[in-house]
Amino acid sequence: MSSHYEAPIREPLVLGEKSYHDVSVEIAAPVLGRANKSWWIVFTIALIAFLWGLGCIIYTVVTGIGVWGLDKTIGWAWDITNFVWWVGIGHAGTLISAVLLLFRQKWRMAINRSAEAMTIFAVVQAGLFPLIHMGRPWLAYWVLPIPNQFGSLWVNFNSPLLWDVFAISTYLSISLVFWWTGLMPDFAMIRDRAVKPFQKKIYGILSFGWTGRAKDWQRFEEVELVLAGLATPLVLSVHTIVSFDFATSVVPGWHSTVFPPYFVAGAVFSGFAMVQTLLIIMRKVLHLEDYITVLHIEYMNKVILVTGGIVGVAYITEYFMVWYSGVPYENYVYLSFGAATGPYWWAFWALIICNMVFPLTLWVKKWRRNIIWTFIVSIIINIGMWFERFNIIAVDLSKDRLPSSWTLFEPTFVDIGTFIGTIGFFFVLFLLYARTFPVVSQAMLKTIMKSSAEQYKQLRAEHGNHTPHINEHTENPPATIIHNKPAARVETGDTAVKQVKIDSLMGSLGVFDPATQEMDDLKLISGVGPVMEQKLHQLGIYTFDQVSRMTDREYDLLDEIVPDFPGRAKRDDWAGQARILKNKKK
Amino acid sequence: MASDKKYWRSVEELNQDSEIVKALQQKEFVTEIPTDEFLGDKKALESTKTTRRDFLKYVGFSTAAATLAACEGPVVKSIPYVIQPEEVVPGKANYYATTMADGFDFANVLVKTREGRPIKIERNDLSEDGGSVNARVQASVLSLYDMKRLGGPLVDGQDVSWTDFDAAVAAKLDAMAGKDVVLLTNTLASPSTYKLISEFIEKYPNVRHVMYDSVSSSHALDAFQQKYGVRGLPSYDFSKADTIVSVGADFLGDWQGGGYARSYAKGRVPKNGKMSRHIHFEANMTLTGAKADKRVPATPSQQLQIIKALTGGSTSGLPEAMVNAVKNARKQLGKAGKRGLLVTGLPDVEAQTLALEYNAMSDAMDVEAPRLTRQASNAAVTAVVNGVIGGSVKGLITVGVDPVYSLPYGQEFAEAYKNLEFSLAFSMKKDATASLAQMVAATPHYLESWGDVQMKKGTFSLMQPTIRPLFNTRQFQDCLLRWNGSSQKYYDYLKDTWTTSILDGTGWNKALHDGFVVSNREVSMGQTVVNSEMESSSANGALASLQDNSGGYELTLYTKTGLGDGQQANNPWLQELPDPITRTTWDNYLTISAADAEDLGLENKYVSNGAMNGSYVNVSLGAVTVENVPVIIQPGQAKGSVGLALGYGKTAAIQEEMQTGLNAYPLYQNFSDVQNVTIEKVGGVHKFASVQLQSTMVGRSHDIIRETTLEIFNTKDKEFFNEDPSVEYDGQHISIRDEKADIWSPFDSSIGHHFNMSIDLNACTGCGACVIACHAENNVPVVGKDEVRKFRDMHWLRIDRYYSAADTFEEEIEMYENLGAMETYKKVETPSWENPQVAFQPVMCQHCNHAPCETVCPVAATSHGRQGQNHMAYNRCVGTRYCANNCPYKVRRFNWFNYSENDEFDYNMNNDLGRMVLNPDVVVRSRGVMEKCSLCIQMTQKTILEAKREGRPIKDGEFQTACSNACDTGAIVFGDVNDEDSEIVKLKDGDRRYHLLENVGTKPNVMYQMLIKNTSED
Repeated sequence: MSSHYEAPIREPLVLGEKSYHDVSVEIAAPVLGRANKSWWIVFTIALIAFLWGLGCIIYTVVTGIGVWGLDKTIGWAWDITNFVWWVGIGHAGTLISAVLLLFRQKWRMAINRSAEAMTIFAVVQAGLFPLIHMGRPWLAYWVLPIPNQFGSLWVNFNSPLLWDVFAISTYLSISLVFWWTGLMPDFAMIRDRAVKPFQKKIYGILSFGWTGRAKDWQRFEEVELVLAGLATPLVLSVHTIVSFDFATSVVPGWHSTVFPPYFVAGAVFSGFAMVQTLLIIMRKVLHLEDYITVLHIEYMNKVILVTGGIVGVAYITEYFMVWYSGVPYENYVYLSFGAATGPYWWAFWALIICNMVFPLTLWVKKWRRNIIWTFIVSIIINIGMWFERFNIIAVDLSKDRLPSSWTLFEPTFVDIGTFIGTIGFFFVLFLLYARTFPVVSQAMLKTIMKSSAEQYKQLRAEHGNHTPHINEHTENPPATIIHNKPAARVETGDTAVKQVKIDSLMGSLGVFDPATQEMDDLKLISGVGPVMEQKLHQLGIYTFDQVSRMTDREYDLLDEIVPDFPGRAKRDDWAGQARILKNKKK
Repeated sequence: MASDKKYWRSVEELNQDSEIVKALQQKEFVTEIPTDEFLGDKKALESTKTTRRDFLKYVGFSTAAATLAACEGPVVKSIPYVIQPEEVVPGKANYYATTMADGFDFANVLVKTREGRPIKIERNDLSEDGGSVNARVQASVLSLYDMKRLGGPLVDGQDVSWTDFDAAVAAKLDAMAGKDVVLLTNTLASPSTYKLISEFIEKYPNVRHVMYDSVSSSHALDAFQQKYGVRGLPSYDFSKADTIVSVGADFLGDWQGGGYARSYAKGRVPKNGKMSRHIHFEANMTLTGAKADKRVPATPSQQLQIIKALTGGSTSGLPEAMVNAVKNARKQLGKAGKRGLLVTGLPDVEAQTLALEYNAMSDAMDVEAPRLTRQASNAAVTAVVNGVIGGSVKGLITVGVDPVYSLPYGQEFAEAYKNLEFSLAFSMKKDATASLAQMVAATPHYLESWGDVQMKKGTFSLMQPTIRPLFNTRQFQDCLLRWNGSSQKYYDYLKDTWTTSILDGTGWNKALHDGFVVSNREVSMGQTVVNSEMESSSANGALASLQDNSGGYELTLYTKTGLGDGQQANNPWLQELPDPITRTTWDNYLTISAADAEDLGLENKYVSNGAMNGSYVNVSLGAVTVENVPVIIQPGQAKGSVGLALGYGKTAAIQEEMQTGLNAYPLYQNFSDVQNVTIEKVGGVHKFASVQLQSTMVGRSHDIIRETTLEIFNTKDKEFFNEDPSVEYDGQHISIRDEKADIWSPFDSSIGHHFNMSIDLNACTGCGACVIACHAENNVPVVGKDEVRKFRDMHWLRIDRYYSAADTFEEEIEMYENLGAMETYKKVETPSWENPQVAFQPVMCQHCNHAPCETVCPVAATSHGRQGQNHMAYNRCVGTRYCANNCPYKVRRFNWFNYSENDEFDYNMNNDLGRMVLNPDVVVRSRGVMEKCSLCIQMTQKTILEAKREGRPIKDGEFQTACSNACDTGAIVFGDVNDEDSEIVKLKDGDRRYHLLENVGTKPNVMYQMLIKNTSED
């Protein structure tokens, strides 16, 4: 093999020199293990918020929309703000899983599962609002083109709200299918590892009979690709259509051609911010630092920078157009001088500062790679993007064409409660997900492990670039001790010569059989430290009995194989010590 | 007729003696039911599968089912006609001409009844001079269905029968013989009643009749009587005046009984290049001032000097700007000569006399046929009040007045009233007076009564019942007849009086049908006031003292469009009618100028939901203090003056929700509506419920209210003063009305009818009658003060009122265009406080041909009609509110809650009585649906169907909406533009026509006629 050039900027995507098995164990751990106290605390809080929100929703449906702060001029405020906000958040998942898949971005593999979960849960929240904001939600099915006995009674295909119905439902279904497809091999893994019969059964059903045959994998890859192809246009279309709710209207500030691309960028912007918020917590709580690394965070920050930049340009464009058009009605739209100095100045400036100023700090590499700072910025962006939608919806409506109808909006406790409720609902779903689903797509991840393995670099460091990269022998130590997580992989030579020596050594010392024998603490032998012990283990030496069989020949062989401490074994008479210890043990 | 058909059950019946037939006659089944076979077979029974638990299940289920079945369903009480009344055809409305006369409002009206229920008041088109059918008259139909009305007569608070009541009254009257008993009535203006009263007085000579107007016009009456010998008020024809100068006369409001809007509007619509010039001096901002070409804020004391100056006196002491205005006004009045008119509202005999003298040569004033709707003499009333308090008056019979509430002497009078030997109140309600009276006679509403009124000398109106009395009531006249010992019904008495002394050849039936007759016959109107009393009444002290008192504020008391003198305070429609000027509902308040407000540290603040909060003040006049009066800072209020509305603050027989505002009558000392008061700021914040708080158009008046001057209108092209908005197309500017400017294909409107509506902003006075008419016609719900405060009023038709941010709207646009780079819009958002220009604009659904609402509804609940209307299918609406957001005119109203049969909204739709006013042709909307103006489609459809049934074409003018029908000034014209000869087509092609926000491209079917002001100063 010729030399291998490694680009110095590429960092590994999976840290900790995992083996496949490590990955399986670590990903399955939260599902198979028990929840800790902090999970319960967070879950309880989320559940209370959810129930409170549910109460607010029931109160609204029973009493009337009048329990919200809306009025004759401002027909939408928090309801549709929350709707657009949640839909926007739901954009990151599909972008990560579909677009990045098509672009062969391997780094997506650690985060796509959770991002997709977040998408689905966010779309569920989003979907709630168009339902409950209706005056008569029990007739919500009328927005579906269902054949009915009234003949000509049909939905109005001119209405952007109807387009929304199709866009959101398509998006939700594609996202769900995509998510589940990706989950099948992982569910199968959990099914195989699960001990409790109930769990086994459930995951058996969920994994849809996945066996891991080559044919399975082939179909899996094909379906993934097809779905990615289907989902990619949705990333662009869903928020485009949501933006049509506004762009096709005649309300000053809504009626804007820049909305479709601007909304999509904003959606990805806010979606990635939410992914950051969630994953930064999750990697800590579920100990996924090795899978979701600073590198992932930095990549996502870069996406945030790009989409935030687009959003910023859109803001400036809007502001410019307001000024340039000279139309008096534009004076009071959400990005205008009137808005900046009017009664909603705080919303205007919250938007500018949260969405334009704070994300700029991510241009600095040090901050972009700072997890705490990223977390803070991601939350600020989420707040800013909520304000963006509030500005567009409530501020634009509040100062419409006829000044006689101008008014302001004040939320009631029901408005606030419902919003908090959806946040609670979202977290309830996400927390349940984190305990029942493989949160990292381990099957995928395993396909990129080799490319990131630290071992080859170490190899080269020791043996130069000409060292062959293929290790003929799998170096896995016996299965029962694998969970002791060896600090370093075996670094014995790869040459046949070395292997012969090892064989020869082990031939005279005897093979350790984990089934019948017990491992001894070799460190009791004076001269054997932890490092040496590990090396001995790697050779297959585990017991005093084996060591006691050593003679001069074996000492020499050992020195040749492990050149670190020449002559040490002989000097310290390991065999003698081992004999004594062996007897003592008896 | 019973049928003889016989049905055969089987051929067996042909057999005469068939066993089976016989058996069937006796029994239900031919053979015995083998019960023994079933119950006797123990073995079979034991082997059945029904276990004990199954049995219990069956028992449980059948018990539950039986219980459920036994539950009572909702009982809808409806009583069918046993014999259908001749004139009632279900589904068809009957109209009756009658007359409203409550002492404050007098009007000839048409009453629309459905299935025997009056549901709406309309104008009586036949009557030219029959008072004005204003908002209160329109709303009076709801007062008929007032839950707080008295159910029957009371003696000492106990329900009694009318027989007992009569006996008690007779006994009391006999006992009172020789003692001074006063019959205190409102201005009845009723020839028959006056005659009846004189008969009553003949029988009981110790009784004397005194008339009392709660809001007095006594000074003007005195002046007129002194000059012309008749106690009445001159009637004016404003259309005959080229120059109108008003000094504090709110003649579009309730000045001298009101009703001048129609003749005023006639002269205000430019015709042949001419329109009248209106110069107005006033303290409060009133409807009249708002419509004036030139309005000069002046305090009442300044007004007194102005009227003197206008009639020859000096202008010294007046501010310079005002001096110029007065000089100009004088010049223009002089130039107009006989076509000049000077009117004043000052409570001052001298001022009134000056005006009368000035107008003596004017064509516009008619003294031959004076108005008789105000009669009270302040002196006489004061004498009675002093008599009651002093103890010389021993008995008081009140009719249609509530002195305990409306007299300025409040508590003192109430105490004295309680101690009277004899107190009897004729009242529809247990109001403040009735609740203290020993005897209360429950009177019917005017829609349940007979009566007659001579509003103006020579014009006699009839009042006829349109429904059988809802309660055990008897009208005052019937009582008098009974007490006079007559067995006649008042109907017969009335008819007798009319046939003998009023009807002049015309038949009774025709008079009843028309609602009025014009007759030359003189009828005694029972004027008992003599000159000696009048002289002592020259209570001009209040006004005179204003000039030398510099410390206080000059208060002008006024009556609001909604409540008037307060008789209908329990009427939720009127409570929720926004004041045309302040656009505030459910309240009265002190209006104050911005400068004075700043001095006193008073403020109006907008809170975070956009609603307004205001400070409180205490208003003191001598020993009287009205506490915690909320303050509204009123643009155009003369500095040094304040205004407060009468008629509020009623609590007796008023539902809690409608106990709004404060009683200002204690400040109505000497029955003078001008007082000198002191104001003191007190703590606390008042929550106002206004429907509009952005008062200016922020420089958008070209798109909203177009305006120009008469001079430009006469001399320039339409393109100059009323240019169509244009868009760029292929590098050229084309009119927005051009086909090419349209990306939509138009609807075909050439077949059938296509309705358009025109609103003339020159003729519209903002009086609000259309708003109430719309309420009544379309079952628009009342939502209450809290909801109005949240901007959730349900009015389908609103009247926007704008103030200019600069002196005029034209200057406002300039100011907006020249706004500095870093200046906020605050400058154009704030009205000019000193003296803004004011404009009214009724706005309802514009029925766009390219309606933004129609495209966005996901379920197509709102869609375009063949006749141009934008329809709203309530049943289909799911309530997304997208249509309302997308409506540039913001006319769509959402049912945030259920407004009917909901205790949270305890107004007329929450009780059976109040629901009787609902129009059966219009559905009551449920919660969660959008509603809006339908151009009264139920009315146009009815017109179409009727014409079709009668096989005739529809004449122009037959198509009406509630608002066009209600409009006294003819500002709202409705019609079919496919009828080429119709008035609406002329208006559509007129030079003044424009559309609201036309540049949006919605192509509305409602058009406006732009505002023209006669600004010429020479």
